[in-house]
Amino acid sequence: MRESKLTLFIFLAPTLIFVLVFIAYPIIYSAYLGLSEYNYASDPSPKFIGFKGFMNTIFKDSMFHTAFINQFQFAIPYFMITFLGSLILAILIDELRYGASFFQVLFYLPMIIPLSLVGVTFAWLLFPDVGIFNHILRRLGVKNWNIDWYGDPKTALNSLVLARSWKMLGFTLIIFLSGLQGIPKSIREAAKVDGASFFQEIWYIVLPNLKPYLYISSIWILINAMKTFDLVAVITQGGPGMSTLTLYYYSWKLAFQRLDMGRASQVAYITAAVIILFSLGFSRLFKSETASRM
Amino acid sequence: MKHIRSLWKKHKLGILITVSIVAIIYMSPLLWMFITSIRPTRDIYKFPPTIIPGEITLNNYVYVLTKMEGFKRYLLNSIVVTTATVIIVVVASAMGGYAFGVRRFKGQNFLFIAILSVLTLPYIMYLIPIYIMEDRLNLRNTWWGLILPYVALNLPWGLLIMRGAFSTVPLDIRDAAVIDGCNEFQMWYMVLLPIVRPAIAATTIITFVFAWQEYLFASTLMTKNEWQTLPVGVVWMRDELQTLVYGRIGAMIILSIIPVFILFLAFRRFFIEGLREGMIK
Repeated sequence: MRESKLTLFIFLAPTLIFVLVFIAYPIIYSAYLGLSEYNYASDPSPKFIGFKGFMNTIFKDSMFHTAFINQFQFAIPYFMITFLGSLILAILIDELRYGASFFQVLFYLPMIIPLSLVGVTFAWLLFPDVGIFNHILRRLGVKNWNIDWYGDPKTALNSLVLARSWKMLGFTLIIFLSGLQGIPKSIREAAKVDGASFFQEIWYIVLPNLKPYLYISSIWILINAMKTFDLVAVITQGGPGMSTLTLYYYSWKLAFQRLDMGRASQVAYITAAVIILFSLGFSRLFKSETASRM
Repeated sequence: MKHIRSLWKKHKLGILITVSIVAIIYMSPLLWMFITSIRPTRDIYKFPPTIIPGEITLNNYVYVLTKMEGFKRYLLNSIVVTTATVIIVVVASAMGGYAFGVRRFKGQNFLFIAILSVLTLPYIMYLIPIYIMEDRLNLRNTWWGLILPYVALNLPWGLLIMRGAFSTVPLDIRDAAVIDGCNEFQMWYMVLLPIVRPAIAATTIITFVFAWQEYLFASTLMTKNEWQTLPVGVVWMRDELQTLVYGRIGAMIILSIIPVFILFLAFRRFFIEGLREGMIK
């Protein structure tokens, strides 16, 4: 059989066409837009201004500053809840004698539900007055409890975290469970024979062996934490005030409500830079272990 | 007493009970939406709310399925867009996965990693230029306007899965095919594709699930209601009809999930394998 260049090209062609037209070209074009001034409604074409636009966004745009801070106020609790929640759950499910696969299906279920509809569901759950969450709190003894979770600037962002973590948990659960299954039973048995308690066993045996998986799930949660659009768009539209304005949503708002494609691209690129910097930071943190294993 | 304690320990019932309680709490949002969807409207907005439904009715479902033309249209849009996306992604990634997993060429690893990094960047970077492009080509508010970017966004994951599968096919199987006089396309189609069937299943289900739930592109590119998919359309309905419709909204949400839920149950092994493959490597 001849393995010719031509056949190789034919096999690669569909991939290359889609990647070039819908990924590579957009990346380059939005970089160009980021270096330009371009109001899609009024300007006939982008006007090149160099890095001035980036400078203005980073140093002078107070909405950008708010979005930047909000993004981290969202990302930190989101990271903690998703990471710890799925880690603990994975350890528990791994210990189960019965029903492990049943519970896995249950916890994976939110992965298939559209995030926008998760948003509608949580908005309904956390409704003031007739919302079931407030009702349960009232029943538990908090009198006259009636918080408008998504309508109050103090609680709106954290209520978004709740919905986002609910949806994400299954993904990291998959990662942790496959990590746990990879740990030889014999090491854990040996620890037990030596008299280690359950928590000692987890801390000294399981977690160190899980390190590459802790890294991988950190990266995935982080990438996700920076892509916060659906829930904001469906539930709060950045409000009340600007309390849930995230980078992603701000970029979208600039592009498709104000039609300011230049600044929107700048915000998008800065978001990308944050993701990349954090990924690099995490890989430093876990460097030696992952390099030898993965 | 001692007997019970040892039984308790042996079967790890404490953990079973803990996980069960967590599972019930975890499922409660979905459960509550379901309960809402099978209640008459006057019960839904009763204050204070009651948890156990007194009267059960399928009226909301009947209404959504018979009276809401919009819902049927969203369902159609979702089915067309998702199915087309899946078909193209599977074909393209089966071809590309072969090139990356079996053939050797210059710049192979660099190109592959470059394609994968697509997944990590904020999608809005692609969306802004794609919006401008589709606006000029009049692709907005058409099925293709959504299918084409969906293929591009889902292709990296498909490639990852298919490359992994192709690279594990033993060399002698390919050699045997060559001796039998196959050309490269016949070998790919008749010998290799049947072997990588599990990977095709994984790519199918994962692409389906992701395309079915996509919101950012769908809400931005499909500005006309008649072209919207379920994740966008149902939200639009909620905003449009505003008050006193959570029973119908609940019914729409449950109905939107059912097709993908059935697929998930049927193919969950492939779904989870595919995600694991993609996330860990």
